[in-house]
Amino acid sequence: MISLKTKLVALSATALFATTAAAEMPKTSDGFPERPITMIVPFGAGGGSDQVARAMAAAIESVSDASVMVVNKPGGGGLSAVPDFMSAPSDGYTVFMHLDMAVASHAAGDLNLNPGKDWQPLGIAQLTFSQLYVRSDETRFSNWQELVDYAQENPGEVTLANVGASTTMEGVNLQLLEESAGIDFRVVGFDKPSERYASLVGGHVDVLLEQPGDIRPFLDGGQMKPVLTLLQDRPAAFSDVPSLADLGADFVPLMRYRGFFTHRDAPEERFSWLAEAVRQGFETEAFQEFNKKKFMDVVESYRSPSDAETLIDESITTYKTVFQKLN
Amino acid sequence: MENFIGGATALFTDPTGLLIFIGGLLGGMLFGSIPGINMLTLGAVILPFTAGMTAEHAIMLYSVIYCSGVFGGAITAILFNIPGSPENAPTTFDGYPMTLKGEASRAIGAAVICSALGGVVSAVLMMSATPLIAGIAVSAFGPPEVFALIAFGLCVAASVGAETLWKGTLSVFLGMLIATVGTDPESAEARFAFGSYYLLAGIGFVPLILGFFAISEIFVQAGQIVSGTRAKISAEVKFPSIWEFWRMRFTVIRSVLIGFFAGVLPGIGATLAAFLSYGEAIRWSKDKSKFGKGEISGVVASETANNSATGAAMIPLLALGLPGGALTAMMMGVFEIHGMEVGPLVFITSSDLIWIVFAAMFFANVCILALGWIQTKTVVHLLRIPFRRLAPAILLIAIVGAYAGRNSVLDVWVMLIAGGAGFLLRRTGYSVAGIVLGVILGGLGESVFVKTMQIVNYDLIALMQRPIVALLLIAASITLALNILREVSPPKPDFAERQSK
Repeated sequence: MISLKTKLVALSATALFATTAAAEMPKTSDGFPERPITMIVPFGAGGGSDQVARAMAAAIESVSDASVMVVNKPGGGGLSAVPDFMSAPSDGYTVFMHLDMAVASHAAGDLNLNPGKDWQPLGIAQLTFSQLYVRSDETRFSNWQELVDYAQENPGEVTLANVGASTTMEGVNLQLLEESAGIDFRVVGFDKPSERYASLVGGHVDVLLEQPGDIRPFLDGGQMKPVLTLLQDRPAAFSDVPSLADLGADFVPLMRYRGFFTHRDAPEERFSWLAEAVRQGFETEAFQEFNKKKFMDVVESYRSPSDAETLIDESITTYKTVFQKLN
Repeated sequence: MENFIGGATALFTDPTGLLIFIGGLLGGMLFGSIPGINMLTLGAVILPFTAGMTAEHAIMLYSVIYCSGVFGGAITAILFNIPGSPENAPTTFDGYPMTLKGEASRAIGAAVICSALGGVVSAVLMMSATPLIAGIAVSAFGPPEVFALIAFGLCVAASVGAETLWKGTLSVFLGMLIATVGTDPESAEARFAFGSYYLLAGIGFVPLILGFFAISEIFVQAGQIVSGTRAKISAEVKFPSIWEFWRMRFTVIRSVLIGFFAGVLPGIGATLAAFLSYGEAIRWSKDKSKFGKGEISGVVASETANNSATGAAMIPLLALGLPGGALTAMMMGVFEIHGMEVGPLVFITSSDLIWIVFAAMFFANVCILALGWIQTKTVVHLLRIPFRRLAPAILLIAIVGAYAGRNSVLDVWVMLIAGGAGFLLRRTGYSVAGIVLGVILGGLGESVFVKTMQIVNYDLIALMQRPIVALLLIAASITLALNILREVSPPKPDFAERQSK
């Protein structure tokens, strides 16, 4: 089954990228990679993380003659795959895809490994921010100021759909926002994104915290509209939506990011090859097009290995500060 | 109607499209019938290819796979007690006992006809009123209503396949207990995980059903072979008669409606549709004790509902851009690859494409009928293979299936343990079907209950002020009370008479 899948993926990648005949990356001096690279995705097939992993796998195949095999290993909020990655040989043939969720788990003490230190980042390929959304036909409030006024006049009435756990990027961002804006939402936790969106569209909750790429169809279809961008300054794509600077909120919001890792003790030369493959893969037209569809081009998405380490370090500090405050 | 004819003409006059249609039909059926891999695996594998197809072909392919994939698992469920996919699990409850009674072809025939029927009706409903239904369903059914629906379904779960109602109830409770392993749905705190990443992910549903059904059945059969009490299974081809279907007309209609309804609501889908519909078949039946022992209307309820959910699942996807399950989420990805956005506008901007998809789903279900008819006549003969040769093959398929879902060897162990436990529980009169019902309804029920409490701000009076919730919860309490009353009161003459009918 797996070999068939590999063949099919490899075949399709050749078909897709046969036209982009870029200069292929040379192998390292020890001949790496001479067999397929395994990319472990800690979530199920078809989701956002799986899509970016498969897009990157195809992009790496298009810039080199390596073949990349995507293996899904879902469960445990992305943690079930960690033992698989850690127990694989650290020869550069195993790449792990993960997102800020691993960083949050580390800061919360659920994962004793530090993704920035115990794993070797190869680069970040998607970086985005969160926004608050309301229904377009909502009559009680139509912008951020009206929402705040309404929530203060009717304490405890406004519900907000978010992910279930509070020790996540979404949970922490909401905590920070509630504190600095002096607003209090009644949070309803949903584990499945589609239920979260249906609850807002169907009128069972009032506000949604989400990243723009995930709900793009609702924005284009006019069912939802953003009322606040969780960034200091307004990005060009949402120039008419207030951002944190407009509120006078001075906290640094947490970002959603998806990146690629290998083992810390992988041979230096192979690490450099992989990091370069991720960088070149990111630059391919196909991957850029993919990111654009996901609204991942609104802020610069790529981070080099060293920048990724810095980003992970900074977010660990933010998570830990908020968690301490909560306890 | 004009639109439908247009879509059908476009489908049948385009040779490439027709080829893709047939490929999707057979592929879905094949992947659906092998446990562990399913239509999702097929969907993920072919996703990169769809970029090279036209948008019409790509989306039509996925909708055809969806229809045939849900049907594929029914055959293995009936013949070998191996549900090919979770949505076929309730089909084993009565389908496999029918095989043991020598009625395999009758069960498969019923599954074929009902799958096709459920699918066709749901496709017709989908064609007639997609945007309207989607809007109503999403706003009328929030988490509180879904919770009430699950509570309603859970109340009859105790009547499935156990010796007594008490043993049935204990079976369901055991299932609900298994569902609590992992993380709690409110704040994702670890629960019964004992510091293990594996348990943190919860006990996998696929290894559990493979263990409880396929593996425990091998033990049961082996025991009978050793003790020489095993009756030879007849492989006679005997189709269910039209008269039989006429008798089950209410079951069929009810199952179509349940399946359709469950399919429209995001997060419920075909699996829960089959389970809920099976539960309702028991509730409305005069003789509840027949279920789990080879009652044809159990097969009918499960297979009608899971196929009926397929057309319905397209409704929120197309009209609102809300994918209800993983395969519809992939379909949304296919739309995106081709630069289209699903949502109300899709009916205006890509009307031709939508009608080709509708027509394809309609004809895919019609083809299931034809293909299934041929299958019924052929696959039944697999039963002629002596069980001692068949058992290793079943074991192998089950092990691969348990492993392939999450690439985890631990899942294989879970399956084997569930197999051993299932064997002992069945010997002592408990119901594995009840356990499985408890696992799926309990897990989903808890998750929606938590959301419900957050939405109503932990106010039970506010909860009962929602009319649909109040109606369903009151009906659930009445069912529960009647069940208990019937069990504690000594059998009355008229009751015994009714039982013997």
